[in-house]
Amino acid sequence: MTAEEISAIVEKNGPAQGGLIAILQEIQARYGYLPEDALRVVAQETGRSLVDIYGVATFYRAFSLEPRGKHLISVCLGTACHVRGGPTIAEEVERQLGIRAGETTADREFTLETVNCLGACALGPVVVADGHYFARMKTSMVKEILDKVRIGLDRVEVDTDQRVFPVEVSCARCNHSLMDPRHVIDGHPPIRVTASFGNKHGWMMLSSLYGSYEVASEYEIPPDTIIHIFCPHCHAELIGSSKCGECGAPMVPMIVRGGGVVQICSRRGCKGHLLDLGGAASE
Amino acid sequence: MRKFASVEELRDFRRRIISDGKTQEEKPTIVISADTGAQASGINDIIRLIKRYILERNLQEKVALRITGCHGFCEMNPYVLVEPGGHFYPKLKTEDVPRMVEAAVGGFVDEGLIYKEPREQKKYPCQDDIPFFKKQTRTILGENQRLDPIRILNYIEQGGYAAAEKVLSNPDPEWIIREIQKSGIRGRGGAGFPTGKKWELARASGNGRGQKYIICNADEGDPGAYMDRGVLEGNPHAIIEGMLIAGIAIGATEGIVYARSEYPLAIKHTLIALRQARDVGLLGKDILGTGIDFDIDIFRGAGAFVCGEETALIRSIEGFIGEPRQRPPYPIEKGLWGHPTCINNVETLANIHVIIDRGAEAYAKVGVPGNTGTKIFSLVGKIRNTGLVEVPLGTKISEVVYDIGGGSVGNAKIKAVQTGGPSGGCIPANMFDLPIEYESLAKVGSMMGSGGMIVVDENTCMVDFAKYFMSFLKDESCGKCFTCRKGTQRMHEILDDISKGKATLEDLDLLEELALVVKDTTMCGLGQTASNPVLSTLRYFRNEYERHIKDKRCDAFVCKELVGAPCQSACPLGTEAWRYVAHIARGEYDDAYTVIRDANPFPSVCARVCHHPCEERCRAGTSGGDPIAIRSLKRFITDRVDPSLYKPQRVVWTDGKPPKVAVVGSGPAGLTTAHYLSLQGYKVTVFEVEPEPGGMLYCAIPTYRLPHEVIRNEINALLDDNITLKCNIALGRDITVDGLFEDGYKAVLLALGAHKSKPLSLENEDADGVYPSIEFLKALNMRGEHLAQGRVGVIGGGNSAIDAARMALRQKDVNSVTILYRRTREEMPAFSEEIEAADQEGIKIETLVTPTKVIVKDGHLSGLECVRNELGDVDSSGRRRPVPVQGTERIIELDTLVVAIGEDSGIDAIGPARLSRIETTRWNTVKADRTTLLTNRPGVFAAGDVVTGPNTVVEAIAAGKRAAVMINRYIRNEEMVQPAEPCLPKVYIEPVKMDTEDASLAGRVETPRAPAEWRTRNFSEVEVSLSVDEATHEACRCLRCDLEFTKPKKVETETEAKAAVTGGK
Repeated sequence: MTAEEISAIVEKNGPAQGGLIAILQEIQARYGYLPEDALRVVAQETGRSLVDIYGVATFYRAFSLEPRGKHLISVCLGTACHVRGGPTIAEEVERQLGIRAGETTADREFTLETVNCLGACALGPVVVADGHYFARMKTSMVKEILDKVRIGLDRVEVDTDQRVFPVEVSCARCNHSLMDPRHVIDGHPPIRVTASFGNKHGWMMLSSLYGSYEVASEYEIPPDTIIHIFCPHCHAELIGSSKCGECGAPMVPMIVRGGGVVQICSRRGCKGHLLDLGGAASE
Repeated sequence: MRKFASVEELRDFRRRIISDGKTQEEKPTIVISADTGAQASGINDIIRLIKRYILERNLQEKVALRITGCHGFCEMNPYVLVEPGGHFYPKLKTEDVPRMVEAAVGGFVDEGLIYKEPREQKKYPCQDDIPFFKKQTRTILGENQRLDPIRILNYIEQGGYAAAEKVLSNPDPEWIIREIQKSGIRGRGGAGFPTGKKWELARASGNGRGQKYIICNADEGDPGAYMDRGVLEGNPHAIIEGMLIAGIAIGATEGIVYARSEYPLAIKHTLIALRQARDVGLLGKDILGTGIDFDIDIFRGAGAFVCGEETALIRSIEGFIGEPRQRPPYPIEKGLWGHPTCINNVETLANIHVIIDRGAEAYAKVGVPGNTGTKIFSLVGKIRNTGLVEVPLGTKISEVVYDIGGGSVGNAKIKAVQTGGPSGGCIPANMFDLPIEYESLAKVGSMMGSGGMIVVDENTCMVDFAKYFMSFLKDESCGKCFTCRKGTQRMHEILDDISKGKATLEDLDLLEELALVVKDTTMCGLGQTASNPVLSTLRYFRNEYERHIKDKRCDAFVCKELVGAPCQSACPLGTEAWRYVAHIARGEYDDAYTVIRDANPFPSVCARVCHHPCEERCRAGTSGGDPIAIRSLKRFITDRVDPSLYKPQRVVWTDGKPPKVAVVGSGPAGLTTAHYLSLQGYKVTVFEVEPEPGGMLYCAIPTYRLPHEVIRNEINALLDDNITLKCNIALGRDITVDGLFEDGYKAVLLALGAHKSKPLSLENEDADGVYPSIEFLKALNMRGEHLAQGRVGVIGGGNSAIDAARMALRQKDVNSVTILYRRTREEMPAFSEEIEAADQEGIKIETLVTPTKVIVKDGHLSGLECVRNELGDVDSSGRRRPVPVQGTERIIELDTLVVAIGEDSGIDAIGPARLSRIETTRWNTVKADRTTLLTNRPGVFAAGDVVTGPNTVVEAIAAGKRAAVMINRYIRNEEMVQPAEPCLPKVYIEPVKMDTEDASLAGRVETPRAPAEWRTRNFSEVEVSLSVDEATHEACRCLRCDLEFTKPKKVETETEAKAAVTGGK
């Protein structure tokens, strides 16, 4: 964390008074909590007293002044979850982790919090672990979920997971296949395109497995860079009119063999994508 | 998509895509709900697999997909809908995907996967016919299933932005406001302020000029409510359209969506929709070339409930602590940054395009005058069909709970609904006829609120429920008003005391007074309504509060400090089930026996026939697994340990000659009293009308459940020098109450049982071949007579019906046995394991039939005329009333009919009691005080079935125990009270060290039973004892709820120390 980074966040959200909550949200999102030094910079930049900022930071539940664990477990204690046994789930998580709600484990792996309502009331009791929702919780499920969280809930075994499957694509302009049979990524021929960013212009290969984010490229692409992608055959830029739902960058459309369109986000590191089959409306 | 330059361009575009859509060949579409709830249930995996299946089989041309928001039936997640046809496939598993896709492509219904109504076991091929959907009016929610929320094109194709188009083609704010006023719509956020009026005021504010704001309040903080999430996730463009129209109406150029940060998907979809609307020129500068500017920003809340209050919400956007301020001035006059600000709820804004599109008059036709339009509720809690439900205002609560919601989940009765979140209140089940309207709900002490409707049943403790809300409110009170800050905290403390059994009745008055003060002296809505959860539960469930305070009981088994170990407090005898289970795990069988026998003089009987309330409440079961097989473990011990090992403590009567007590009836109640009085040194005489003692145990319980041998041994072990047993003596015939007193008995206990079956009240009921069930069972049990022959029918659904049926099946001349019951199988009062056993033995169970006529030929039964029932309205028991369907009469041919529709003591037994001037009831029971068990005559007590009507064995034993205590006090001239105290585990028994993983994963041991084939040929006992291994395994599964109360403190501090670390906020 540097003062410059914090200043940039303040700048971006508007130094005027109204931006304070958004500023704190962004700091919290980036560092996992609100470091004291950051709040000092915010006070300086916004012209508000540190006491004032401390007041706001402690009033709202979403902010934490303490560093939090790598994994966040939220147990819902909304009314519907409460009557369906949410408190016993919370107790079981507390027992398993050896901490109470609001605390972080000594190894900084887990932070446990209880939340007032996650709005999945029909499926209570509900637990959210690192953004993944678990419905109709039973105490017997807690241990297994925590074990999975330790490994990483996003981790996918591309070889064995039936949710991962190959998609063959072609250029949306010239309809030439973009598959590259001479190479292998994830055990399948990858999709080969030309990528351009800054003054770099070179090949890029993407795993053709839907659900894998493996990429190889001629030049190293820095995270968050928006790349322009071209067909290596007709050299037309692959670009549509729609924007990524995750980050707002332009989407890159490709034709799916057999019918349909797959669109991937042009921002390096963003996992935004859309797979439309069976003639879904084009935009 | 490009930007529309004019209203006409938008109109033409819509026209074109609609006609394009129509010309395209109709192909089946799989509609997939993928809201947060569906994602929590694994819909993302289902979607992946559907796509994979389509790709691998090249089905792109044969089927389309539509990913949508929530359709409402959340309980069924993950689900899909196949159009056309409306086939609804609930609770899909990944392995179901190929079948479902094939059915969609092939245009047929997959019978195995299609929705089945669980109660009627009826399949519904079309969604619109499913009761959950059929009774709704899904004006707003219906749109969710028709469109993909991240595609503006979809929204436009469905007629979206047509209302905006109408407004923009001739912008007339006055007209808009008039339409909204005419529609009668009121704020859906809860308070119900007329939206049209609010807009009119907002328009006029600031002399109609200057900067104004429209804010969409999507800070849906009420726990248990998620309508706004459903709408924002599923149809964000409808909100944008509503805000745009509102902006034009009041003259605002800026809008803000204030969304909860706990709703990431709603925020994402709103952001996408805002971007798309800007891209096509529906937001921004010079919208569609009309010169109108309007744009919308999103503001993410940071987790503070009070920010749902409008002035706090504004402070929050301004970057301050979200404290409300005094109104007036209202935000309409002085709002965000001091400018006029109009704040509307998500659902209100979602209705705007409907009003403009369809016209105010058409809109006002839905609902009732003063409460027009539809309202979405989140129907959650202890109800079968949880989900989002949209009904016209004015709909009755009962229609929502029972018709749409499908009633209760298990056997527990629905007790109340809670509406309005922490600001609302509870409405008890007997008021479910109430129409859902703003005023009617307020009148009964609740409120509409944003639409949370939480159903609670008997397993919900109302004290705990009120405490839950108060805990929430004390945390969420912003602290500005002293009475709210301190008042909610104090109310929480008092409620906490009550839940722990530490409060007095005076505390209840204090609680009520405090609640009224908080209501009257706080500034914002949070404080003013904070008392509602307390006041409404006190109003309708005061008895539960009093139970906690006076009897130290939490009947819902929620309040830990009163419940202790649920198995123990569920047992009418307070048997420390956890303790003997722990002894079994350690192999200490003699200790286990002592624990059982200390509480219960009939251990071997209860090990066979107890209805085991301990197991119903066992936390291993209520937390989602299988309860410990406690009764089987008891059987294991009683089969293994010699009863003579047990030496009870005896008191020798020192004060002269021991007094004499007479007990009439030698059933479990009578003998229990005799036993405990004998231990106190009394001389007890037990009179029994039958030749053998045992009462109902002997006469009415089938030998295959309870062999006579077991009863005899148990009774012999109880009889001692202080007890004299006299059989073949009848009250009224051989002895009288007056006579007993004359003979020097100091007290008399009437424990006569309930030996008379209730009649059907049909003609020819006394014909040959028709038997009341008790008579039928007695004939076999006492005299070995086989009354059943040929085709046997048994009327009833309780345990005695099952007993009679299974006993009939074992008789030699019987061909078939059929049970006839008027309600559904789920509602049969008999124990499920008994019903299951009857099934296994080949007994047929016909439900939803009512007998109408007994058919007689030559004086002997020949058949029974029955009529089919269908399920009607919900009756006072919370069950649907069986309503006979005219014209469905049919005759069932029968040779024997057993009537088992309930028992009472019968006039033969009750008559002599009456003659002795003892008060009885119209249900043919003896009237006795609940606490003292005294009848209206001094010295005469009554206990067991003769007081309660037919009841369980363990209840009778409990009554017998109480009678012994009371008779002792009566004779010693002591006060007739038993001070209540929570029955908590007191003894620490070290748990067996073992691999916890194995135990928690293992399932319940199956109680061994003789094979059904063999069973039906004789009257021998069906259940068999567990083996040592089985018993040890089962005992080790126990979660040891007792340890929380008994574990030595030292051990606890060690684990505390091991636990970490950083304090949170």
